[in-house]
Amino acid sequence: MLWVDKYRPKTLDKVTVHDQVAQNLRKLVSEQDCPHLLFYGPSGSGKKTLILALIKQMFGAGAEKVKMENKTWKIDTGTRTLEIELAMLSSAHHVEMNPSDAGFQDRYVVQEVIKEMAKNRPIDAKGKRAFKVLVLNEVDKLSREAQHSLRRTMEKYSASCRLILCCNSSSKVTEAVRSRCLNVRVNAPSEDQIVQVLEIIGKKENLHLPAGFAARIAAQSNRNLRRAILFFETCKVQQYPFASNQVAPPLDWEQYVSEIATDILTEQSPKRLYAVRQKFYELLVNCIPPESILKKLLTELLKKLDADLKHEICHWAAHYALCMQEHKMRLGSKAIFHLEAFVAKFMSIYKEFLVATFG
Amino acid sequence: MGKRPPVVVLSSSSGEDDGGGRRGPSARRSRTPASAPARAQSQAASGSRKKPRRESSAGRGRRRASGPAPLDSLKAEFDMLSEDFSECFDDLGMSGSIRKTKELWVDKYKPHSLAELAVHKKKVEDVKKWFEEKLTAPKQTVGGWTLVLTGQTGVGKSATVKAIAEDLGVDLCEWTTPVPTLWAEHVHANSGLRYISKLEEFENFVEKIRKYAMLHPTSITSQRKLNIILIDDIPVTSGNAAFARLGKCLTGLIHSTQVPTVISLTHYHKSESNDTAMWNSEDLESLLQDAGAHKIAFNPVTTNSIKKILMRICKEERYDASEELLHQIAISSGGDIRHAIMSLQYYCLDPRRHSSALATNGTRAGSKSRDSLVPRQESYGLSSALSSPCGRDETLTLFHALGKFLHNKREINGGVDIDLDPFPLKEKLRRNLLKMDVPEKILSQAHGKVRTVADFLYENVLDFIDNEAVDDAWAVVSYLSEADCLLAGSPITSYNSENMAQLIAASVTARGVLFGNAHVASSRWHTIRSPKLWQTEQSFRSNKDQILNERFDCSSSCASCNFSDLVTEFRPLERWIGPRNNGPISSSWHHGVGGSHLVNKLDADGSNYEEEDDDVIEEC
Repeated sequence: MLWVDKYRPKTLDKVTVHDQVAQNLRKLVSEQDCPHLLFYGPSGSGKKTLILALIKQMFGAGAEKVKMENKTWKIDTGTRTLEIELAMLSSAHHVEMNPSDAGFQDRYVVQEVIKEMAKNRPIDAKGKRAFKVLVLNEVDKLSREAQHSLRRTMEKYSASCRLILCCNSSSKVTEAVRSRCLNVRVNAPSEDQIVQVLEIIGKKENLHLPAGFAARIAAQSNRNLRRAILFFETCKVQQYPFASNQVAPPLDWEQYVSEIATDILTEQSPKRLYAVRQKFYELLVNCIPPESILKKLLTELLKKLDADLKHEICHWAAHYALCMQEHKMRLGSKAIFHLEAFVAKFMSIYKEFLVATFG
Repeated sequence: MGKRPPVVVLSSSSGEDDGGGRRGPSARRSRTPASAPARAQSQAASGSRKKPRRESSAGRGRRRASGPAPLDSLKAEFDMLSEDFSECFDDLGMSGSIRKTKELWVDKYKPHSLAELAVHKKKVEDVKKWFEEKLTAPKQTVGGWTLVLTGQTGVGKSATVKAIAEDLGVDLCEWTTPVPTLWAEHVHANSGLRYISKLEEFENFVEKIRKYAMLHPTSITSQRKLNIILIDDIPVTSGNAAFARLGKCLTGLIHSTQVPTVISLTHYHKSESNDTAMWNSEDLESLLQDAGAHKIAFNPVTTNSIKKILMRICKEERYDASEELLHQIAISSGGDIRHAIMSLQYYCLDPRRHSSALATNGTRAGSKSRDSLVPRQESYGLSSALSSPCGRDETLTLFHALGKFLHNKREINGGVDIDLDPFPLKEKLRRNLLKMDVPEKILSQAHGKVRTVADFLYENVLDFIDNEAVDDAWAVVSYLSEADCLLAGSPITSYNSENMAQLIAASVTARGVLFGNAHVASSRWHTIRSPKLWQTEQSFRSNKDQILNERFDCSSSCASCNFSDLVTEFRPLERWIGPRNNGPISSSWHHGVGGSHLVNKLDADGSNYEEEDDDVIEEC
C-alpha cells in the first residue's frame, strides 16, 4: 500500500493538518444530523481525507467496506432511453461517484442517483440517521444544468440523503448550490505542516531524514500534501539512506511536456506541428487531462519567452483553454483540436517575432 | 413480323410470368398491357416497333429473333413455351402489379445489335473476342471459362452480353432471382411456404449449372447449341460467414464450369454502400479474379454516346427535344444510360416541362461563375431545381471530397476583376477562385458525417500546407477548433444532418481548410490517413478503466481520488515505487506495455483502418 493511503488519517481525531476543521466537523455530526456539505480547496489539501473520516465518524467501520462497480443507469428522457455507465464506490451507508464523468449527461445521473438513493432509504431502528450520504466529486466540473438539477433534488430529497460535495474551486459551483450547503474551506497545508507530516511518516517507517530533506520535498511539492508524500516514498525507493541533496524525480508527463515545449521553440513549421501532435496523442492516450497539458506547456513556454510576447501567448492559451473548458462536458469534443490550435498560434507568433528580431 | 396475334399471347404470357415471377432482373421490364387506356397516339407511333420487343420479352432474353424468318419465330415460340413451363413450375399465383405501366423506353430501345450499344466499341470487341475464343475452344478444358464484368449501374454490362449473345447466335441462360418468401411470411403464415435464403437458392442454381453443363453437348438438336450463362444478380450477403459461403460457391463455379459464364458486378459508390450489411463488391471481385476469372471493367458511358442514343430515341418517338436538354440529361445521368433514357421519357411525358427546366438551367448557367459567393440556401435551391426533375444526384466518395478540400485547387489567375470589386480586400485575405463546386455542395454529396470529415481533415491537412507557412497552419487549425466547438455544442440527437450547428460546423470546417491553406504545398502524392484521433480515444477509454481498477485494487479502502490527480500524480510516481509495491501494477506507461497492447487489440478488432499504430506509444 502506498504511504499516501497507509498514513491517511482514518478518523477525525487523528487528522493533524486541519485539526481545527476536523474538530468542528466532529462536533457537527455528533450533535444531530448534519447539513449538506461542500468541501473546497486546492488539490492535495486533504478534502477527501476529511470526508472519509467524517463518514466513518457518522457510520462507524461499516462505511469502510466499499465496493466498486460500474453501474449502468437507464434514464428515460421521454423520447428515448439513455444508458449511462458510471463507476461508483459504495458502502452500506454512502455512495461516492464522479458525475462529471458522464459528460454532458451528468444532469440525468445526478437526479437519478439521488432518486434511487431516496427510494432505498435505509431504515434505522431508532429512526435516527436514516439517511445515506452521497459524495459527489468534482462538482465544479458539472455542467450548469446538472448543478441546477442538483439544487432541486437537494431540496426534495433532503430527508433521505445528505450530499457531500467536493471540488477544487467553489467559484464554479452555482450560488444556489453553495447556499444550500455548509461550506468548508480546506486550505493547502503550509510547508511547515508538510514537513511535520513527512517527519511523522519518517519516524513510523524508521527512516533517518537528513536535515533540510523534508523541507526540500515540501518545497518541490508545491504545498500539495499528497504529492509530497508520494515524492517522499519515491525518494525512499530510489535511494536510501537519503543523500543530502536528493530531490524527487520529475513527473514523467511533465518532463514530456517540457520536451514538447523545446520542440516547439526549436522549429516552427507544419511538419513540426504534426510531430507535436503525435506527442499530444501519446499524452492523451495516457489519460493526462488536456487542461493540465496546456497549463504545463504554457508554463514551460513562458520560461523561455521574451517578455514582449508573454501577454499575447497567455491570451491565446486562455482562449483555447476556454474552448476546451466550455465544451468539455459535451459529447465528442476533441481537446486536441484546441491544444494544437494553441501550439500553431504560438508557432506563428514566435516565428514572426524571430523574423522581426533576427531577420 | 409477329406471326401470332400479339395481344392474346402477350396477355397470357405476361399473366403466367407475373404469376411465376421467376425473373429477377427481367422484372424491370414491364409488359404491355392488353388494354392500356388512352395511349392511342403513342401506340400508333410506336406500334411497329413494339412487336419484336414483345417477342423478345416473351422469350425472356434467351432468344432474340432479329430476323423475322418463319422458322425462327416458330422456334422462338417453342422456346417460349418450354420456358414458361419450366419457369412456372412453382407458380404461386402472385398478382402482377406492374402490368399497368406504359411501356418503358428503356426496354423498348434495348440494344439488339452490337451497333446499337452505347458502350465503347473496344470494350464490346474485347468481350466479343473473349466469347468467340471460349465458344470455339474445346469443351474439355478446365478453368478460364468465367468472365467478370464490372462497372457502375447502367453502363450496359448485361446489355452488352445479351447483344453479343444474339450476334453470335448463342443461347443465354440467366440466373433469375426467384420471388422471395419473407421470413416473416414463413413464420406466421402456415401456408406451407418454404423459406429458402437467397444464398441457398443461388447455391442450388450454381450446383445445377455445374451438373448440367456436362449434359449440354449432347443436346437434342442436331446442331450443337451453344450456351452462355449470365449471372447478373449475385445475392447480397451480410456478415463474413455468408460472404465466405458465397465466395466458396462462386469459386467452385469458376473452377468447374465448362460453359462460358459471365458474372456482372455492379460497383457502388463507397458512400452509398457504407453500411456493413452491403457486401463489398471489391472483395468479391478480387476473389473472383483470384479464382481465375477474366475481368473486363466497363467505364461510364460517355456523354456523347448517351446523347446519340437519346437523339435516336427522340427521333423515333417523334419528340423534338432540344439539343441542350439532351445534353443536360446526358450530363446529369453520370454515365448511366438507363437513367438517361428514363429521364428522357419522363421529360417527354409533359412537353411543357422541358421549356421551364431549360429556363432554370439558363439561370443557373448564368450564375455559375458567382457560385462561390452565393449563400448556401440559394445555391442549394438552384441545384435542386435542376436535378430534381431529371438527373441523379451525383455522389462523391468521402475521400474524393477530402481530396478536393485538401488539394485546394484554385484558378491560377482569378485576380482579373479585383478592380471591379466594390469592396476590395486586403492582399492577405484575397484568394483565387476555387476550381470546384461550393464546399457545402461537395459535403452534401459526400454524405459524410461532419465529425468524420473534420477528423479526417484535421489528421491530414498539415501535409498539404507549405512547410514555411506556419501562419496558415494556425489559421486552418483554429478554424477546425472553432468547428469543434460548434460540433460539440450540438446534442447527441443530431443524426439528421439538418441540425443547424452541424451544417455550420461543416461549412466552417471545409471553408476554413480551404481559406486557411493559402500556400498549398506543391502537389505531390499523399496518402490520406485515417484519423489517429479515433484510435487515441479508444485507448484512452480503456486505459482509463484500467487505471481506475488498478487504483482500486491497490488501495481498496480509499480508492477515492480525482481521476486527474490519479493520472498526473499517482501513476508517474507509482512507477518508481511500483516494483517494491505488492499492488498488481500490471502495466505502466513508461514501458508502453499497456498502451501498445491495447493498440494491438484494437487492430485485431479491425476497428482501425490503417497502419502506423506502433508509434502511438513510443518510448518517452
